[in-house]
Amino acid sequence: MRVRVVMALLVVALTAAGCGSSSSPPPSVTVVPIEAMPSGAQEATAAPVAESADCGDREASLRPGPQPMPGAMPPGSTMAEIAERGRLIVGVDQNTNPFGFRDPSSGQLEGFDIDVAREIARGIFGDPDRIDPRVVEAGHREAALQSGEVDVVVRTYSITCDRKKTVAFSTTYFNANQKILAVKGSGIDSAAALSGKRVCAATGTTSLKALLALESKPKVFGVTSWTDCLVMLQQGQVDAISTDDAVLAGLAKQDPNVEVVGDSIAVEPYGIGVKKENTDLVRFVNGVLDRMRDDGTWERLYDARLRSFGPSPGPPTPRYQD
Amino acid sequence: MGAPRTLDARASVAWLRRFARTTPGVVSVIAVAVAACCVIAGVVVAAQLDERIAEHDAVLDRSEPFAYAAQNLYVALSAADAAAASAYLASEIQTGPMRARYQKALADAASALADATAGATDVDTRTAMAEISAQLSAYTGLVESARVNNRLGLTVGSAYLREASSLMQTSLLPGAERIYTDNLAAVDEDQRAVESLPTAGLVLLGLVLVAIGVGSVILSRRTNRQFNLGLVVAAAVVLVVIGWIVVATRLAAGSIEDSRTEGTARFEQLAKARILAQQARTDETLQLIARGDITAGEKSFTGHIDDLGTQLGTAPSAAADGVTRWTASHRKQVEVYLGGDYPAAVALAIGTDPGASAAQFVLVETSLHDEIEQTRATLRDRVSAAGAWLAWSPTGTLVLMVVAAAAAVVGLWPRLKEFL
Repeated sequence: MRVRVVMALLVVALTAAGCGSSSSPPPSVTVVPIEAMPSGAQEATAAPVAESADCGDREASLRPGPQPMPGAMPPGSTMAEIAERGRLIVGVDQNTNPFGFRDPSSGQLEGFDIDVAREIARGIFGDPDRIDPRVVEAGHREAALQSGEVDVVVRTYSITCDRKKTVAFSTTYFNANQKILAVKGSGIDSAAALSGKRVCAATGTTSLKALLALESKPKVFGVTSWTDCLVMLQQGQVDAISTDDAVLAGLAKQDPNVEVVGDSIAVEPYGIGVKKENTDLVRFVNGVLDRMRDDGTWERLYDARLRSFGPSPGPPTPRYQD
Repeated sequence: MGAPRTLDARASVAWLRRFARTTPGVVSVIAVAVAACCVIAGVVVAAQLDERIAEHDAVLDRSEPFAYAAQNLYVALSAADAAAASAYLASEIQTGPMRARYQKALADAASALADATAGATDVDTRTAMAEISAQLSAYTGLVESARVNNRLGLTVGSAYLREASSLMQTSLLPGAERIYTDNLAAVDEDQRAVESLPTAGLVLLGLVLVAIGVGSVILSRRTNRQFNLGLVVAAAVVLVVIGWIVVATRLAAGSIEDSRTEGTARFEQLAKARILAQQARTDETLQLIARGDITAGEKSFTGHIDDLGTQLGTAPSAAADGVTRWTASHRKQVEVYLGGDYPAAVALAIGTDPGASAAQFVLVETSLHDEIEQTRATLRDRVSAAGAWLAWSPTGTLVLMVVAAAAAVVGLWPRLKEFL
């Protein structure tokens, strides 16, 4: 009896051992595909703050007084401080062709905005090379002016009543229209066609606000730079980009598969940002812009940087608030 | 059919019971029991010592080479990103020294990845490796997109490079650092396993001594003889075995302690220092690429350099001197940057001047690398020594315990023969 029980147990034990040895294969590794995105890219969901501020004519700026000669800034003025320092610190962009961008082969910052900044330096020092460009992200422009990190911001800076609460603007030096950049043949040809599409814009810009306010309610992605938007479009992560026509034209030049489409979504007057308290510098910069309009400098800069996007519309007429 | 056999079995069990109560029966039981205890204890002790030798092999063959490969992987990946960033800052469109450095770093990363994968036994670590492998392919793709666009003079090139660098800084490098940190804990665990006493075996050996003692007492009562020489020899051999095990494992533990203080602990400091140096170098170049407000970048740089100093300690070393000169060059770079001379700042950061940041960073990196190689040799040396102390112990204890068993049987045989 006992022997049989022992035999039976032995058989069970051996069978169990046999089962154990023919178990499942060792676990194998599985990883998900890598989807790289530009740093800081995220969906913008914040409801647009209604343009609550009403400041009358947003483009109206301070009228320039008698323009001091280069090298002879009035003592005690902001310009005298800059002259003392020896260079004008300008907040610019290095990723927005043709306004402010880094030439990949020379490493130099160039563009229409940079050229305008050089004219201001010429006004103070008589030497356009005395600028110290500092790259400022779109969402950081007001803070950079308020903290004194930069003297002026020349960086596709749209004049709005909201921004005028914290910083001062010069007169308008360029008028842009917000449009759409999409892949050719994608069927996106107007703001209405953006419904349900993924659209990219730089964080902290008026373009992004305008997109969030659209009736067609596109899915909006905010990024750090406009070129990040082009990367996302080329990687198939967004369907369209929307911002000012001149900026879009600069992006369209870099990719033959895309085109600028649609009517103007919003008019964007570019001004030069100045710290709100520095009214003397605002008047001085307006004086420089007046000179540029009168002596043909503006047309010369347009020819150099923007000619390929269309014939010159002429410099915008300055408006003053007094 | 089974009835007669059952009867036979019952009969033999009954006979055995009766026999066990007789003196020859008692002698036989003692002989068998002591011999069996000796052999079982011998096998268990040998197995336990074998385990320690296997752990020692694991340190030398797997966990230590893995930790070494893992920190090399981090450094190679970081160096690739630094080379790509420097090429961008230098506006190096054509193939040049920066590109050669980038390609060298990629090859180093691939080698380190292969070495590390060989040491990865668990699926989690292998998954982490696979993620790094996949991300690295994506990274190189982005760097090449950047290169092509830059060659065409398109500003979107720098956006691709930023995307690549962000992938490196936020996914690849943290992943590599995690693999390295987890693995260093594994090295320590394996080292501890080598030096632990084989407790179960020692307890069994103690029980063998007890069995021999009890057997001797019973035997002296039954046979009126004070000692049985066989059992005395068996007991002496067991004591020798206990002594051997304790001495060998203590000596091994001493070597392992050395390997941990002179090896693992120092290795960890140096590897951390190497990673911190890479991070500080990244801060430095990113400041110039961003070309904006450097307050945050400076804070990060200073933090990394301070931690680096802590890891290096106060002892004078080539690395510490290099860090001092590097920091001085960096201060100058910040000064000229804030003074508006961007090209001079770039030249200080990536230029070829032997006193400037790039050369000093290379010096720091090289001396840390050399010191890691030395520490690694020390670590392996000490662990090897620990293995040498244990090398013959499994075979030796097993043989000795068989000898003890034989002594017991041989010693008891004459007592049994008296009754035959």
